Amino acid sequence: MKKLFLFVLLAGLAAASVADELAIGAAAPKFALVNAVDGKTVTFKPGDGKLSVVVFTCNQCPYAKAFEPRIIELARQYQAKGVAFYAIDPNDEAQYAVESLAEMKARATSHGYPFPYLKDGDSTVAHAYGARVTPHVYLIDGGGTLRYRGYVDDSAKPEERRTTGLSNALDDLLGGKAVSNQATRAFGCTIKWKS
Amino acid sequence: MRLATLLFLIATAASAADLRDVDNPAKVKDVFPAKAKIRIVNIWATWCVPCVAEIPELRAVAAAFGPTVALVGVSMDDMIPETSRQKVVAFLNTQKISYTNLYYRGNVDDLTNYFRFEGEIPVTVAYDRSGKEVWRHQGPIKSADTIAELRKLLGRMQ
Repeated sequence: MKKLFLFVLLAGLAAASVADELAIGAAAPKFALVNAVDGKTVTFKPGDGKLSVVVFTCNQCPYAKAFEPRIIELARQYQAKGVAFYAIDPNDEAQYAVESLAEMKARATSHGYPFPYLKDGDSTVAHAYGARVTPHVYLIDGGGTLRYRGYVDDSAKPEERRTTGLSNALDDLLGGKAVSNQATRAFGCTIKWKS
Repeated sequence: MRLATLLFLIATAASAADLRDVDNPAKVKDVFPAKAKIRIVNIWATWCVPCVAEIPELRAVAAAFGPTVALVGVSMDDMIPETSRQKVVAFLNTQKISYTNLYYRGNVDDLTNYFRFEGEIPVTVAYDRSGKEVWRHQGPIKSADTIAELRKLLGRMQ
């Protein structure tokens, strides 16, 4: 009986906690999510031969919004080199109306997002990647393997940047090298999980 | 100076928030008074919704103990470009926060590495006089739980 109680307790604790972050070298989870901009489903199949950047971001977090111009800049720069970008909003719109599809569409349109802005309404994809905050980025190679995770840069202020996490990793992979800085600590707003 | 102006300045100074600048995470612990047995660091920002919701809980914790427990807030407001120190001062005054706060102007990596947290705020970490970590809570605290935990820790330090 004691063992059963312990098992139930541990299972409960595991269910209540956020999933571990996806390990470097692990296979990236696939996803199919609705693009707020046009209502169409966008599918990401890791191993499609493309370098892919998955960015968990949102409408309401000031820190995520501070990185928005930088993410757009990097997307434009690296899409020209064949890299795919996916922005995913994992926040619960029931708690934060600003995270609704309509609000996402408005933001993506007014800011000229050069990538789909996908709704992960029940945070399933965020859980699968082990994302914790917005913004939180993942770089997946053409074979579907995670090569970088963490922050975009270590500062939202261009003049104070010391480490450019995402662009360094992209440059390494595009240059045929192993990523020198594979994991950084993403800082930002806690994902607003569906309760 | 007219008397009314002088009285106004005195009153303002008396109620002004205690916000000091810091750019090195290692300097945060220097702020605590020597007699504090437990030294609590709360990392937060005015732009962080759960952090703002947590403020009354922190006030309750700060009020529950005498000088044996000291609380210091570390504001991460400066991490976003469009904020200002004045905004934090105004917030501290509005919220009637009497414990010391630090306006962090350093690098985010330095701070997350020093306090060993995974980038989510609020996070609250307690240290003993020697600087050893004795308690930690990720996410908003509950004052009743935190006060009970701190009393237990103080009991063990007697």
